[in-house]
Amino acid sequence: MRFEGKTAIVTGGSRGIGRECVTQLAREGAKVAMIYRSNREAAESLVAELKDVPAEVRPIQADVCDAGRAREIVDELVDEWEHLDVLVNSAGIVNDGLMGAMTDEQWRSVIDTNLGGTYNYCHVVTQIMITQRSGSIVNLSSTAAEFATRGQVNYAASKGGINGLSRALAKELATRNVRVNAVAPGMIETDMSQVVRGIAGAEIKKIIPLKRIGKPEEVARVVVFLASDEASYLTGQVVRVDGGLSLGGY
Amino acid sequence: MPTREEILDKVQNVLVEALVVEDDEVTPEATLVGDLGAESIDFLDIVFKLEKAFDIKINRGELFPEDVFTNDEYVRDGKVTEAGIAELRSRMPFADLDAFAENPVVQDFANMLTVTDMCRFIESKVEVTD
Repeated sequence: MRFEGKTAIVTGGSRGIGRECVTQLAREGAKVAMIYRSNREAAESLVAELKDVPAEVRPIQADVCDAGRAREIVDELVDEWEHLDVLVNSAGIVNDGLMGAMTDEQWRSVIDTNLGGTYNYCHVVTQIMITQRSGSIVNLSSTAAEFATRGQVNYAASKGGINGLSRALAKELATRNVRVNAVAPGMIETDMSQVVRGIAGAEIKKIIPLKRIGKPEEVARVVVFLASDEASYLTGQVVRVDGGLSLGGY
Repeated sequence: MPTREEILDKVQNVLVEALVVEDDEVTPEATLVGDLGAESIDFLDIVFKLEKAFDIKINRGELFPEDVFTNDEYVRDGKVTEAGIAELRSRMPFADLDAFAENPVVQDFANMLTVTDMCRFIESKVEVTD
């Protein structure tokens, strides 16, 4: 139980990779606050699934774009829990479109949720972890940040931003024993990739060296490792979990 | 309402925790950067801890007006101008800037803040019992 006595916040915790992160952290003893935007049913179903875990799993409804709400949530949790050990920023959206036809709303919604949301929670949690002199932050990025895909200028920009934020923040917080890393999944079986997989799944598998789409739990295992004390000498890294997709070549 | 002694005591405790130094190193004359080894991230922690210890809000730039040092009007050739010194005096009435003003090298500024300056800053934010 790597997280016995520890506390964690996971944004985007009701679905996809975030959901798996909540599950694995909770099963390993962490008290977990799961931030979800609107899918109350998914959040409550996860709480029900995890009814036998050692510590609390608490669903909290909030839009990660709301900085004030991020502060309220973190302050309340830390008042009650007295410490915060792990932050996983997994909340993210796609809103694809070619640049020439992209609306301001498409651009802003993705930047504000993916990068802005990560900033909002990192900003508040950083203040706690600086004072604690301990903590681990793991931000969900994507291979899309470095390996270009048409129709995802906004998504790629947001995830590239997350890579930069994670590295710079790692440098800032290192002297305070706070580690910051990012995980860049490739093509993973989640609701977010459902449309793309439906259209081009077979083609995508051909270019992945491991010849299959990844599972959310496989990404979550890496997130949870990075969050744990087992990764005590790892900071400022962007770890790709992509079945070899980013290797390129033939 | 705290006394001046109580303020010094709490400020000393904050600095001991934030900077991981011994109690006897945190003398009133000790400079935060030079004597106590504070780095920029330590100032963040000091501000958070002071806010909690005294139940006050410290706005960005209130304790340490970093924006003065990026203003062309206030800094020239690595030194703070007369206008800059005046601005610093107005923004930091709690700090003794006379020694700095004699040779106002920007890089030396961080080193002039003392424990006493921190106490005076707190005294300007809370009601003090004599």
